[in-house]
Parts: sequence; C-alpha cells; structure tokens
Amino acid sequence: MVLEALGDSTRRLIVDVLRRSGPSSVAELAARLPVSRPAVSQHLTVLRRSRLVTYEEAGTRNVYRLDPTGMRDLRAWMDGFWQEALDSYAEAAQKDAALGRSDRVAIRKGLPDE
Amino acid sequence: MSEQANGTMPIRKTVTVPVTPQRAFELFTARIGEWWPLATHSVGEDHATGVVFGEGIGGSIVESLADGTTSVWGTITGWDPPYGVAYTWHAGTPVTEATSVEVTFTPGEPGHTVVELVHSGWDNRPDGSAARANYETGWNPVIQHYARFAVTSGQTTLMRVTTAKGLRP
Repeated sequence: MVLEALGDSTRRLIVDVLRRSGPSSVAELAARLPVSRPAVSQHLTVLRRSRLVTYEEAGTRNVYRLDPTGMRDLRAWMDGFWQEALDSYAEAAQKDAALGRSDRVAIRKGLPDE
Repeated sequence: MSEQANGTMPIRKTVTVPVTPQRAFELFTARIGEWWPLATHSVGEDHATGVVFGEGIGGSIVESLADGTTSVWGTITGWDPPYGVAYTWHAGTPVTEATSVEVTFTPGEPGHTVVELVHSGWDNRPDGSAARANYETGWNPVIQHYARFAVTSGQTTLMRVTTAKGLRP
C-alpha cells in the first residue's frame, strides 16, 4: 500500500533522492542517505511493491527510478481526502438546513396570528 | 507519459447542499470548524483542536494543536462571497510547494447550492520552479501532503533523519 510505504521517513527520503537525482543504484542511494546499503535494499523492496519505484537491470546492478503508478494511487488518495471533507460539509449543511426550517416553524408557531 | 496519466490533472469534486449560496459559503469558510474532519484531515490528527478559515484575500487557514502551536494550511487568494473562494494549499510544506484550491458556489434548485471544489497545481509551483528540467513533477506536494496528513509527526521525523547524516543505524 502506497500510504504505508510512505509512512516511513527513510522511504520518503529515498523517494525524494530519486526525484531530485533521477535513476540511481542502491550504492548511490546509500551514499546519499544515513542508512546502510542492505537497509536501502529493504526499503526499495517495499517501495517497489507499492509501485512507487521500479528498476532496470544494468549489468550487475539494478538502477531504480520513480514509478508513476504509485503517484496515481496517491492522487486517488487525495481525491478521497476531499471527498470525505465535502461529505462532512454536506452533512453539516443538511443539519443546518433542517435546523433553519425547525427554527422557522418554531417562530411561526410562536406567532399568535399564525 | 502524459500529465494526465501521471495523475497531475486537477481533482474536481461537486456536492449539492440544501442551503443558499450565502449560507453555503459561510459554512465552508467562517464555520469550517463545525464540519472539517479534524481527526483524520489535519496535521495533528488526535492532537488537533480546531481550524479557522480567515476572511478575505491574504487570510489564512490555520489549524491549532493541543500543544498551543499552529499549522497554516493555506492562504486565501480569491474572496468573492457568496460565489467563490480560492486558496493555496500547502499544509506542512514550504509555501513554494503550494497547490491551489478553488471552491465555487452556484445556485442550483431553489434553496440549493452546487459547490464545486477544484484542487490543481499538482505540477505547478507559484515560484515557477516547476520548469526545472528533469523534475519529476507532481511528486513532492502530494508526498508532503501525505506526510503531514497521514503520518503523525511525519515531518519532525523526516527532519531528524535529514540532520542525522553520517549515522548508520
């Protein structure tokens, strides 16, 4: 899951380095990050499963780069973010409208001529 | 790959509410604290205590947290009650990495208002840095949004790791 993959700060750093520096090998990433090479490999596996990164074999090493598929998933997440916010807004508006009607009814009932 | 395929096209959301545009606008802005899902849609999540929507261009959307600190989510760039409001959206990110949100309020059936929200600028930066060559556009704002909204104190952790260069756990 993309969101879980990015829930780790080191993995966010890896994504950030790939974004800034372009395709990189494990060794290149490890050199830029405060973690060991095996740790980088493990994080890359998680990122790859979430389709945030992909790799190509280049001789004896794998070169990693960002995978736009994960980006689309993230955008879908943001889409859900606004949907939930607007649902909550619509609910409040409905309550507000209902309250407004009952207020008017109460006022009307209170009027002697009504 | 096109931008659309990259997921950088605007997000559009529409909802119809059974109130007048005036009331819909007021509820969206001045009364945001009554409905915004703070527990899930905030920097502080459980520690978020409220959110306030400023009034007029230059005003801010500000979350307050239990520890007394605040977090600015955006700045109002367009203010035309009851027709629309526009603001930058940079919750937890540098202002230069802001995306843009525009909300319009259009009269629908009598007593109803169609509210449309458009969140754009996924590949755009107000400072023009989007033009930087080789920049994988659209990534950073979204990731930062996620980091702030989906991970408790994600930014703090990120900063700590960044400053701990040289340490190899």
